[in-house]
Amino acid sequence: MNVMGIIFTNDASLGELTDKRTMASLPFGGRYRQVDFALSNLSCAGVRHVGVISRHNYQSLMNHIGDGEEWGLELEEGGLEFLTPYAMSVTHTYRGKLESLAHAMDFLEYGADDELVVMIDSAVLSNIDLNKVLAAHVQSGKDITVVTKAGVCNGEKIIDLALKMENGEVTDMVVDYAAGEDYLASMDMFVLNKKWMIQQVKEVIARDKFHMDRDLVLGGWQRGKVSVNVYQFEGVALFNESVEEYYYNSLALINKDIRHDVFHGAHPIYTKVRDRVPTYYGEGCDIENCLAADGCMLEGQVKNSVLFRQVTVNKGAEVEDCVIMNDAVIGEGSELKYVILDKNVTVTPGAKLIGTKKNPIIVKRGETV
Amino acid sequence: MYFQKKRVIAMLLAGGQGSRLKVLTEKTAKPAVPFGGKYRIIDFPLSNCVNSGIDTVGILTQYQPLELNEYIGNGQPWGLNKTHSCAQVLPPYERHDKKSGWYKGTANAIYQNIDFVDRFDPDYVVVLSGDHIYKMDYAAMIRYHEEHNASCTIAVRNVPLEEASRFGILNTNPDNSIYEFEEKPPVPKSTNASMGIYCFNWSVLRKALVEDEEDAKSSNDFGKNIIPKLLAEGHKMMAYPFDGYWKDVGTIDSLWEANMELLGKEPAFALRGDERNKIYARNSALPSSYIDESAKIVNAFVAEGSEVYGTVKHSIISIGCTIGEGSLVEDSVVMPGVVIEAGAIVRNAILGESSKVCKNAVVGGAFGPKDKRKISVTSKGAVVEANTVLLPGEML
Repeated sequence: MNVMGIIFTNDASLGELTDKRTMASLPFGGRYRQVDFALSNLSCAGVRHVGVISRHNYQSLMNHIGDGEEWGLELEEGGLEFLTPYAMSVTHTYRGKLESLAHAMDFLEYGADDELVVMIDSAVLSNIDLNKVLAAHVQSGKDITVVTKAGVCNGEKIIDLALKMENGEVTDMVVDYAAGEDYLASMDMFVLNKKWMIQQVKEVIARDKFHMDRDLVLGGWQRGKVSVNVYQFEGVALFNESVEEYYYNSLALINKDIRHDVFHGAHPIYTKVRDRVPTYYGEGCDIENCLAADGCMLEGQVKNSVLFRQVTVNKGAEVEDCVIMNDAVIGEGSELKYVILDKNVTVTPGAKLIGTKKNPIIVKRGETV
Repeated sequence: MYFQKKRVIAMLLAGGQGSRLKVLTEKTAKPAVPFGGKYRIIDFPLSNCVNSGIDTVGILTQYQPLELNEYIGNGQPWGLNKTHSCAQVLPPYERHDKKSGWYKGTANAIYQNIDFVDRFDPDYVVVLSGDHIYKMDYAAMIRYHEEHNASCTIAVRNVPLEEASRFGILNTNPDNSIYEFEEKPPVPKSTNASMGIYCFNWSVLRKALVEDEEDAKSSNDFGKNIIPKLLAEGHKMMAYPFDGYWKDVGTIDSLWEANMELLGKEPAFALRGDERNKIYARNSALPSSYIDESAKIVNAFVAEGSEVYGTVKHSIISIGCTIGEGSLVEDSVVMPGVVIEAGAIVRNAILGESSKVCKNAVVGGAFGPKDKRKISVTSKGAVVEANTVLLPGEML
């Protein structure tokens, strides 16, 4: 069975963290970018034809993905394709997923062998065996399979698409709504038959609609035109849809069960190789309950934190409950608690930054504090 | 097929058994032995080539090549898989004449691959070994070779006089030209030790290899035969002095030492902070390492994918290892995929890939500053059973 993958990259906004990058290229988990999960999920399920759809700010994303070599997608036939808006053909950038798909019609129609399409977003991260999802989709005989996670809907969090199930059938569906605990949250991951999808995209766009969840799934289902299959994912799904969630989920990786599910679950998670040296733990360092990527130089105290590549923590510095991205230099005697340092930040000696669990302080890329 | 002419190509001798590494090379060729947490020995000469602008490398393999071949693959980790670059593994092969068979010596290995070299029509061939840890700019050596209009240039380093009789010694004139080569001289005349890094004019080397092959008495070795032969023929041969870090990791002790020399705030061999001369390695797709609250790590390397719950002092913990709660690892090299269970004690040891030290087992011992250090070694996949002891200097 030939399968095509489509990755959406600009699907949410995390304020300052996504000012100059896509959700897909947001660093996560010490040595990854969020798109690594979607790419690895597709590649490890044998998908060899992947389109990456971006609206804006895609420079860092293209730099990261390159020709797709790290994910085995640097192929003669199929492989990886960037689908960015053409300034000539559209006067605005895409309003929704369906509009971006309509503009990528060449890509969709190329590779006539592809029977199924997997659509993945970049904000919900998981290590999922897509072959199981594909098999369930085929077996169901439905038009579209929505991959969902139980226990996410809580009546407070706004969910893109939530579904209620009774006796194996969908009985209710809501979009952009704080659905209650008895709903399953869509992981923004869908399986569709390709020919059917192309037809649907054309029909919905023709009526000047563009919203995947609202116009295609919900609208189609309500009108009795679209049959929906629900796949319930049992593993860990990390919904990074706000700064608070991103921060919470980053530190959640320190938990062994979550970490092992995410990194050693169905398959490895591949990322761009940086060839850093192993992390060096100095004479006086005190590191507890941390994830540390390669290339760090650690001489201070770090607790309950995630350290990305090539981070320097100098003597006497105290770091706790922090997410420290690549190349940060944390000066002697400084104190950081509940802080997210974007890439390349310098913390001067003695500086003190204390955020809160709900509102971690974010220091922008390249800044000195 | 089109082969671009190359000014320089490198030939990397990676076929030796490395028998002095004992159990570590039972199933692995020496160049594929892990080093420094995430590297293998061959990463150093290969990365040096790439960092010196050499994009064509022939790798001569013979002993236990499976793992080495897998590791080299298409040369992608070093960027040697492009249209005009290659990392070509060259095993012995059968020919129509009787001149084939196992590589008889280092010179014979290159001789059997003259056709490979000829395709690139190189001006210079750099001959390297796959068992040295160092960073070197071969381009600077080639410039030196050109400036001196030499036929052959050999990299040398200054060794203490009392150790000189363990090396191949090059006796030189004041201008660094070589007038004599002595293999392990009992009474050394100089302290210029050959590093086994050669730059030849290909036309000169090609002729010497063909003639050497016809000499039935020759052992077809660079040090023993080719270098003395070129000297006798009056070729201009230069010694290229190198004073950077360099270590032959051919023995258990030297392999242990070289690993330890990566440690410290200002290590004898600094891998960090030299962005233009990175050492590249094949990537293992492992997550960040996890350091538990019960862990204590002092003066150590911990590579990706490891989980540390115990105490680690002055050691190298490679990729994908688990260091159990209440265990102690001190002055040791822990190779990839090793599991050390709770309560185990490991001192002055090299633990081979994927070996396992079970609960409360003891490997090796401590040594005073004046004692002769004896390194305990486990082979690939070996298991030190629970509550048992592997004595200092013992191998499993």
